[in-house]
Amino acid sequence: MSELKVGVVSCSGEECLGGTISRLATRKVLEELKLVETVTLCLPLYLAGGKEERNFAKVFPTISVDGCDKLCAKRSTEKYSGKISGFIDVSKIIGNENALNKKIVRNKDLNKEHLQMIDEIATEIVRMIGSINPDSYSGKSFCGCSCGSDQ
Amino acid sequence: MDKKVKVVPCSGIGKVYGLMAREAVLKTVFELCPEKSETVCLAYIVTGDKEVKVKIEGFDCITVDGCPKMCASKNVSIAGGIVVEEMKVLDTVKEHKGKKFGSPTQLNADSEAVMSEIAEKIAKKINEIN
Repeated sequence: MSELKVGVVSCSGEECLGGTISRLATRKVLEELKLVETVTLCLPLYLAGGKEERNFAKVFPTISVDGCDKLCAKRSTEKYSGKISGFIDVSKIIGNENALNKKIVRNKDLNKEHLQMIDEIATEIVRMIGSINPDSYSGKSFCGCSCGSDQ
Repeated sequence: MDKKVKVVPCSGIGKVYGLMAREAVLKTVFELCPEKSETVCLAYIVTGDKEVKVKIEGFDCITVDGCPKMCASKNVSIAGGIVVEEMKVLDTVKEHKGKKFGSPTQLNADSEAVMSEIAEKIAKKINEIN
């Protein structure tokens, strides 16, 4: 059976606010977007031997969401799974001053302004998913390998 | 040279245990042991960049993982960090059977309490090291 899926890889960086925003925006899209099935891929699994994560991104269109311009999620995904369908640099949208804030990182410290930033990034993720050509994922399935069939 | 213990969570995004690892580490480095510990982005460690290897290589590190795949521990080791303690969120979770821990987006009261317990364990280890 074919499935419609798009992968989103967030950096979830622990050192600054941009990482927290990238993570929560990705979660928001995962929980609220129902147009296509969106799955999050666990970035650290790429190096830790996560074959399914790597193979998923080889088969289905995948978008990276990075908190800063180091673009760790983008680079790691491309290293192990080939070219991605799109990438978001959160710092370009909320500004470096916010993204690199090292004092406010925990969920409990987020204020209304930060929640608006999360909404803004989530909107951008949704826009990017919407711009993906449906032919790139239509009719494909995922059984853990990188063949893209349901056999 | 910076002697702070590096504390690195997996921050797994698919399960609440990843969030518990992340929040426990952030509570430790911000509130419990800010003078003795700091965190380093795991996604940055994964890139293998020279700049991040310098931050990790040869340093005492505590890793906190939310699932048995132990991604934080494996990646810190690959980057040359000395993993002096591998903490597993599930070890503490097992002591709280029957509780519901919320979602990977937001902790609830139960997961917040267990997260704090994990943070205390991390802090205890840091104080033993430093």
